[in-house]
Amino acid sequence: MLNLSSFVQKAQQLLDPTQGLNLSDPDKNPSKASLFQNQFRLPSSQHPLYEITAELTIPPANATQGDKDRDRGYHYAGKLHLSESFLCFSTTPSSFLQSASTSTSSAFTGQTHGGGPSGNGFTFPLCSIRRVERLHSQNFQFALAISTWNGIQDTPKDKDASKDKPVVKEQRITLQLAGPRVSCERFCDGLKKGLRAGVGNVARLRKVVAECYSEYLLRPEDKKNASPPDAGLGMMFRYPGDPKKLRDRAKMRLWAEYLRDNGRNVTLIRQPTFHKLIRVGLPNRLRGEMWELTSGSIYLRLEHPTLYAETLAKFAGMESLAIDEIEKDLNRSLPEYPGFQSEEGIGRLRRVLTAYSWTNTDVGYCQAMNIVVAALLIYMSEAQAYFLLTTLCDRLVPGYYSTTMYGTLLDQKVFESLVEKTMPILWEHLVRSDVQLSVVSLPWFLSLYVNSMPLVFAFRVLDVFFVEGPKVLFQVGLAILRINGEELLDAADDGAFISVLKSYFARLDESAHPKSENPKLRAVTRFQELMVVAFKEFSGITHSSITELRMKNKDAVLNNIESFAKRTAIRNLGPDSKLLSTEELSALYDRFYGVLYERQQRDLILKQELARRAKSARPRVGDSANNHAEAVEKGRVGLGPSTSLMDYDAFREFLAGLSKWAISDTPATPRRDTFAEADKGFYNSFSRRPDTMLSPWGAGPEPADHEFLQRLFVKWDVDSSAALTLQNVVSGMARIKGKRDIMGTITYFFELHDDDGDGKVDREGILRMSEALLFLSRRGLEGTLSPSNSTLTLNGIDGNSRDDMPEQTVSERFLGSVSAFIRRCFEYADPDHPRYQGAGREERMGEEDQLANPDAFAIGDDEDEDEDEDEDEGEDDLLTMDSPTGSPKVAKKSETVDSQAPPSLRLDSMTTSSSNDPFDRRRVSKAQSERANIALDPSNPLHITLPTFRMVVLADELLEQFFESSFPASFHILEGIGSSSSATPSSTLTTFSNLGIGAGRAVGAAFGGAAPGPQAGGRGLRGVLDNIVTDGMRVAAEVRRRMDEAQKELERNALPGQRGDDDDEEDDEDAPGGVPAAAGKTAGGAYRDPERRSVRSSDRDLLAGLDAEAGDAMVPGTRVGRASADGSAAENGGGAAALPVGTGRVVGVEFDG
Amino acid sequence: MSDLAGAPRPSSSVKLVLLGEAAVGKSSLVLRFVNNDFQENKEPTIGAAFLTQKCNLPTRTIKFEIWDTAGQERFASLAPMYYRNAQAALVVYDLTKPTSLVKAKHWVAELQRQASPGIVIALVGNKLDLTNDSGDGEGTDANDSGDARRVSTEEAKTYAEEESLLFFETSAKSGYNVTEVFTAIANAIPETSLKTARGAGASAAAASRAEEQRVNLNGPRDPNAKEGCAC
Repeated sequence: MLNLSSFVQKAQQLLDPTQGLNLSDPDKNPSKASLFQNQFRLPSSQHPLYEITAELTIPPANATQGDKDRDRGYHYAGKLHLSESFLCFSTTPSSFLQSASTSTSSAFTGQTHGGGPSGNGFTFPLCSIRRVERLHSQNFQFALAISTWNGIQDTPKDKDASKDKPVVKEQRITLQLAGPRVSCERFCDGLKKGLRAGVGNVARLRKVVAECYSEYLLRPEDKKNASPPDAGLGMMFRYPGDPKKLRDRAKMRLWAEYLRDNGRNVTLIRQPTFHKLIRVGLPNRLRGEMWELTSGSIYLRLEHPTLYAETLAKFAGMESLAIDEIEKDLNRSLPEYPGFQSEEGIGRLRRVLTAYSWTNTDVGYCQAMNIVVAALLIYMSEAQAYFLLTTLCDRLVPGYYSTTMYGTLLDQKVFESLVEKTMPILWEHLVRSDVQLSVVSLPWFLSLYVNSMPLVFAFRVLDVFFVEGPKVLFQVGLAILRINGEELLDAADDGAFISVLKSYFARLDESAHPKSENPKLRAVTRFQELMVVAFKEFSGITHSSITELRMKNKDAVLNNIESFAKRTAIRNLGPDSKLLSTEELSALYDRFYGVLYERQQRDLILKQELARRAKSARPRVGDSANNHAEAVEKGRVGLGPSTSLMDYDAFREFLAGLSKWAISDTPATPRRDTFAEADKGFYNSFSRRPDTMLSPWGAGPEPADHEFLQRLFVKWDVDSSAALTLQNVVSGMARIKGKRDIMGTITYFFELHDDDGDGKVDREGILRMSEALLFLSRRGLEGTLSPSNSTLTLNGIDGNSRDDMPEQTVSERFLGSVSAFIRRCFEYADPDHPRYQGAGREERMGEEDQLANPDAFAIGDDEDEDEDEDEDEGEDDLLTMDSPTGSPKVAKKSETVDSQAPPSLRLDSMTTSSSNDPFDRRRVSKAQSERANIALDPSNPLHITLPTFRMVVLADELLEQFFESSFPASFHILEGIGSSSSATPSSTLTTFSNLGIGAGRAVGAAFGGAAPGPQAGGRGLRGVLDNIVTDGMRVAAEVRRRMDEAQKELERNALPGQRGDDDDEEDDEDAPGGVPAAAGKTAGGAYRDPERRSVRSSDRDLLAGLDAEAGDAMVPGTRVGRASADGSAAENGGGAAALPVGTGRVVGVEFDG
Repeated sequence: MSDLAGAPRPSSSVKLVLLGEAAVGKSSLVLRFVNNDFQENKEPTIGAAFLTQKCNLPTRTIKFEIWDTAGQERFASLAPMYYRNAQAALVVYDLTKPTSLVKAKHWVAELQRQASPGIVIALVGNKLDLTNDSGDGEGTDANDSGDARRVSTEEAKTYAEEESLLFFETSAKSGYNVTEVFTAIANAIPETSLKTARGAGASAAAASRAEEQRVNLNGPRDPNAKEGCAC
């Protein structure tokens, strides 16, 4: 992972130094491939492979009429591009080579400015090329003659017939490649390869092309008996408008001539006449085909001709929200057009919208799509409309119909700023009279003028729109305002404003200059005037200027949408959200979506990098970023539906942003950034540090994986969907943080561990609870704690030797509390068998217990516990025990969590210090612990109930405080953990260094002074032994007989330690000495439970590191020899944890001095 | 505003916005109010539609500038654009569709938090003609297919009272109660918030009138749909 991410980073920097800056701005820095795809409107499967400067020669026969003087045909200089399955030529000077700079690939000229097929040229699917010949030219130039399948499709049947009439004229063009011979050869090789691959698609091409009306149109008269291809509902229900007035016939003739000369549908060559013919309006029957061709949707259809039918078949009979919404609108889509008053028209509309909603479930169905699709269906077949709708949503008006409609809102902002720029006086007026322009203009854009203007005119706008791209919408909109400027300046409110425009649209067919003397001028309609103003006066509105403005406004628009979405989401949260403050809800929302967003980003980028790497293995594949540029921001709320479900990993990451305990102790990847910074604004900060996302957990710390997290997740996942919604998270959090009610929290914690919900937690569950408690506290307790009592007690017990000992840390005490907790749980558990009173099976060393009287602790006796305990079973774990870690401020439990190991198998290591307690109870406690031991016996099933649990918790001040304040307070919803650990760059490291400090201090406290050192050592030793006992108890729970043996062994081992406890001065020797004993003992435990053992062994390295640290910490004042042994352990096994260990060591050395 | 000079009574504009789930009949209510018309297949509103209609009250004339918004969920993020500065809002639900009331409640909450303070909100349950107790005597039709009502008057009314909303059940199809909604809103607009406010005392009277009217309208149903208000 580490390798990959650094590689990825480097690669990114090499590929494009600016990329890091605008990762979130794909529009500003689109990939070469996407520019290429946009320029030629090719499907996203196409990439620019080769390009070469070339001159296109169209022989005179193919040239449009006129200009007879140039008998050698028409020549166009431009660039020839080859992709996987297309050969494209354009006179616009653009380059999509890897080596090309951003400006040469994005500085487009021509009508479309890169937003569509511009200039003169062609876009041939390779399968439409019938033959390529290398020409022998005198001037040593590299020339190719290309003949296409144009019009050939109907000839194979009747080769004889073709001699009767010159039915089909072969389309043959010449291309002269300019450039070094090598590159020409290379291009030709590529072309050859592509052509070979394309052969198989010829049949598919024929099928697709057969649905084009041009094929029928150009067919010789005698063969027209076959029914024409479907050219929309207009063939059945008439096309809107008066054909005579539209001069449909004349247009058709012109087009027929153009197509005859320049190829039809996919083999069409764009010459200047082409653009002119489009500007005057397409003839009805060719309209659908030309829309399909100019928008590029025909290439999608060519790629997957049966997709539409397949989609319908695949989802037949299924239901969805989109379908419900579609049904509501079917009867109200262009209802004035007769075709949509019939079942035929409605049916087509239903099928196209439904199929699309299945194909693109993110968009589904948006009102206005019904109107646009209805318009399309008048001129084209269902399949054609389906693909054109896809092209619209994906490329032409991206984001318009998304669930947040960010594209629509963005373009409104862009439109407003264009108005401000081009018509400042009008803009001023709008602002002054508080008229919101977008309330007027939004429907223009959203429905592509279809329901704003009379249909005939709207279609004329669409004709140009499909060729020239979305800038047309802006040009027309601006022209509308410009033309009506005078009147609009008189309009004082929205109402007047709207009515001016309404009446303007109603009179588009009238003369623009009715009073003019000049009859020609009088003949100019208002619509013609509109087109002239739009494309002449506003010719400065280009694809790139629109793109630029979109970039500029994008963030503001998205932020608006997101704040609205957030407001709505929070308001719609259920009643339990009321338990949290608005700020907390808001922070939860941000964190929830922040995590999801970042995860998606990382996912995407990692995937892209993998794809890129896979690709780069293939030589000569030119593009570096095959990603669809828009996808880069996927996941951002404002861009539409992103996932709103949080899986377990995301949940871990989410918690790691809130709670210290949820951060892994063993980060696999170094952190580069503080989470605090990430918090500032996850969208923005994200873009500035793309590198961090390449680590699996991004900028944040690596989250821990512990059974407790799993339990929490399952608990919050109320509908068992293996994913959390925001509602789940809020409800879950509300239960913990909502009421600040200790009983509630205790109950909650109990329920978390009550797997079957029967109100009982069994032995295993009790151990799990204590593990969870340790897990949660291993980075220290938060909230308000009152240490006073326990300190006193503590001093009380060892008063003689500890007078100068600093007060015991809360964490140390907490460990004691937990061990007492376990003991009490077992003691007060409800057995299913009568309790054993078997006494004196073993001598307990230093266990004191005052629990003789249950009532005593029901009241909540203070800190009576002082047990050191360890549940660890592995020897490594035991070794960790000799690190009496403890920091005054933060806890420092050296618990290690291996994120891979199943938490249930993981043990929490712990060390502790004992607190103490009235001695008079000692005797009792012995008996009690005996009983507890027996309680571990698997043959004595037992459980605790909630009241017992509550009682046990309340019996301990620290536990009580934990549930009252620490636990709820450990979720830092508002400030995150960034602030609490801001002093150090990483909270993980913080913890480790704290650990070191803690250990150092504790040890320093223990060993540094003359008296206290040994004393603490003794304590430590005793703790070790106590832990061993507890550990043994736990193991015994599984095999009682062996347990007994272990106990005996323990006793033997424990004896010296106990003595050491008494003998302060010699303790320092005993302290380390206890370790081997403990190790030996646990080895036995491990032996009994091989499974656990094996899992634990995976943690060994880490543990060794910790051990080393602990060992080092202990060195001061004790034996050097021992310390060095531990140190070497660190070197051997602690490599992964090198940094933390190092930190620990340094601290240890400090104390040394 | 423009006809202030010639009008016998003070005239003022009130910006009113219609909100509610898709296809609950927002546009139809407006169409009924403005043109006293009903269309079975009304094109969905894209973004928003703007219409105006006057409403004559005894003391003044209110010119409603009505913003009829699109109901589809995804258009919701456009709504702030339309309810900006609105003095009144009609939150519409379909009383045959409980989810639409939920959505209506969301809108009410949104308005209360985000719209201009003092906005007059009316909760309107539309499509009364589909229920048995349709006010226009077409109940027999409904009886055949059973009562389509799924939101009880009580439930919605209780909610409206809690939130201090005006409350009506209407039928845009029959016209039942439609004009009354607008009249009640006109009356409920505090005079002080009107652009040409005159005499602060009138507003209290207007408010109490609105209150009366509301009570009346929920009493025995008037079988005859009223022809538009005095416009």
